[in-house]
Amino acid sequence: MAAKVLLAPLDPVHDVGLKLIRKHLVERGHRVVLLPPDLSPEEVVQAALADSYDALLVSRTIGYEAAATLARLADLLDVAGLRPHLRVAVGGMAVRPELAAEMGYDAGFGPGTPPEAAVAFVEGKPVEETGAALAGPVVAAVAPAEVTGAGVAGAGGSRPTAAWLRAHSYEWRDHQIGRLARQLGEGLLAWTERKRTPATERAALRQDAGPGAQFPEEEYLALCSPEVAAMRRGELPPGCRPVEEEEAQRLLDRLRQAPPHQLPGGPLQQRPEAPLAVFVQYGTGCPLMDAAHAGVALAWGADGTVHFDPAWGARHEGLPRGLLSWSADGTFPTAENLSFYRQAVPGGLWQVRAHRGLNTPETVVLAAWAGADLTKINPVYGSLGGGTDPERLLVDAVAAMRLAAWYRLPFDVVTNEELGGVPAHKALAGMLAVVAAALQLGARPILQPLFCYSPEAMLEGYMDHDYVDWNAAKVMCLREIIDAPMWVGAPIGFLTHTEERVQSATTTALHALLAAWLQVDAITIASTDEAYSRGPITVASRVDSLRAVMESWRFSGPVERLLPSPRAREMAARLGEGIQATLAAALEKPSFCQAIYDGVFGTREEGGNPGRAGQGTVSRS
Amino acid sequence: MGKGLQAVLDAVDVETFLVGASETECIGLARALMEEIGFSDCDVLFLEHRGLGARVRLRAYVHRPGMLYAWLGETASASGGGD
Repeated sequence: MAAKVLLAPLDPVHDVGLKLIRKHLVERGHRVVLLPPDLSPEEVVQAALADSYDALLVSRTIGYEAAATLARLADLLDVAGLRPHLRVAVGGMAVRPELAAEMGYDAGFGPGTPPEAAVAFVEGKPVEETGAALAGPVVAAVAPAEVTGAGVAGAGGSRPTAAWLRAHSYEWRDHQIGRLARQLGEGLLAWTERKRTPATERAALRQDAGPGAQFPEEEYLALCSPEVAAMRRGELPPGCRPVEEEEAQRLLDRLRQAPPHQLPGGPLQQRPEAPLAVFVQYGTGCPLMDAAHAGVALAWGADGTVHFDPAWGARHEGLPRGLLSWSADGTFPTAENLSFYRQAVPGGLWQVRAHRGLNTPETVVLAAWAGADLTKINPVYGSLGGGTDPERLLVDAVAAMRLAAWYRLPFDVVTNEELGGVPAHKALAGMLAVVAAALQLGARPILQPLFCYSPEAMLEGYMDHDYVDWNAAKVMCLREIIDAPMWVGAPIGFLTHTEERVQSATTTALHALLAAWLQVDAITIASTDEAYSRGPITVASRVDSLRAVMESWRFSGPVERLLPSPRAREMAARLGEGIQATLAAALEKPSFCQAIYDGVFGTREEGGNPGRAGQGTVSRS
Repeated sequence: MGKGLQAVLDAVDVETFLVGASETECIGLARALMEEIGFSDCDVLFLEHRGLGARVRLRAYVHRPGMLYAWLGETASASGGGD
């Protein structure tokens, strides 16, 4: 039913907020009268008495004497006998909801409240304290849950991953490169047949038992390194402690009590000017702190989170168990830690990485069971830049890809070896070969080129004048090769951040702008603590970057696809030539594995260092 | 630990501009500032000296990952100066 609404700006001049609200109300069929500014509270009451209004919305921008003015208005409205049938809300820069409540107003809208909240008030619909928008999904409060530590069946198929990843055909547009990549991929799959590792055997033990079920512990321990076996027996390293069930439950209760939250306007992904998903990385070492950080990041607009496991774990066979907390460069992907995370952070897309180390297939299984939406797999990076032996990681990675396909977990294939100095064309060639293998397994790979100020870019001068052309060239080149989802990382602007907070936020925001202009599917962003290495990342630093990204997209609005400069086009063409040459060179080697060892995908001098973790652990069935 | 500090999820950052003749002097001033506020253990996260003084950002961790978190109702063993 149409309401009759009176709008009153209690300011000398400011009334744009109420004009916006008027527009929304009129669009919804309500009858609206907007008073001019510069009226006294007495004049507002007189106007309210002149007709039978259903609601009065008052705005106040100037802070000076705001409280006194609003208090006077409240008293006058009471004296005039209007309150029984007139609902009154106040809002504006000078208003705080708690102040409005103290004065007896029916609602108070603080700075940043969207017009939709005022509309909801007029229409008698529930309005959240934060003035959450009516449209769009709301991150639900956590339902009561017990901390069991048990995994649950993977729910990847039910999450909005498919909707987030725009439809891509995986058609090879560059037939020559496609042919070479497919050949390498086929060769890799054939080469791994009947090969097994302690990691594949551990994954099989878990799978045979099923989610949350006990598997033969002694058999598992026999496949673990001594340090992990000790941890599983309860001998935790210094600084590592089990989280008490009560402690964990307290955080779940706290999260459940938090009001549903939503960034005004919806998650960043839903903004029309930049419909791409924004991921943040987490991994403080403590699952409770992780959940707190992730919850804040999602409240401030992130669409998803990426689990970071510690480097320690990547060098040891097997995974510890239990809800474990310690201060480290990542959080153990134990079944219990992962399960807790999903209980504590049910919203948002969630990626658990499995791209390096000695536990990749097992991690994919646990990720799927815990309800992850995505994983990460790239044996070329993992072996040349992640410290794992190439032979070992190739076998594990193919197993991990099979599992990812089985559990319907898309995964990105990241080219982090660029950060060590490997030229982009070699890193991208490695990525495409892995993608080809993944497609043959029925998996859903996502390309993850880097937006980074890489050693190659520094030495060759590709980014001496801007960070645009070289980054754009990678995206353009890949688009000309294959129609596949693209998620740039990792994070964007890597190696351009400093410890200066504004600079750090700005570089992230500008790289996000570029990503939006290039119409990629997703980005991973850093916090403003990216360059700070003397302590853990703070949650406020995450908010910094998210706000900056939001602002950059607000500035730009929906933009047509970026027109590449001639320089970017040249760079893209050179990249394509380099990719083709690298793939051809790899095919001349006896195997994909040998190609890695021999430096085809990055020589030692370039920064491609075949890892040693897991050397000599591949056997044949 | 007072209730304000208990509610800090992880760290307190202080950003300001300190008047000082040199970077070295400003680093000393920054640490003194944090001591005066009550943080005995802090990090000068960022400092850039130009002209009259330095723009600084200083950090004191109140709750590090792995600790018991006062904001969860746990008894934090740390003093107001963080860990």
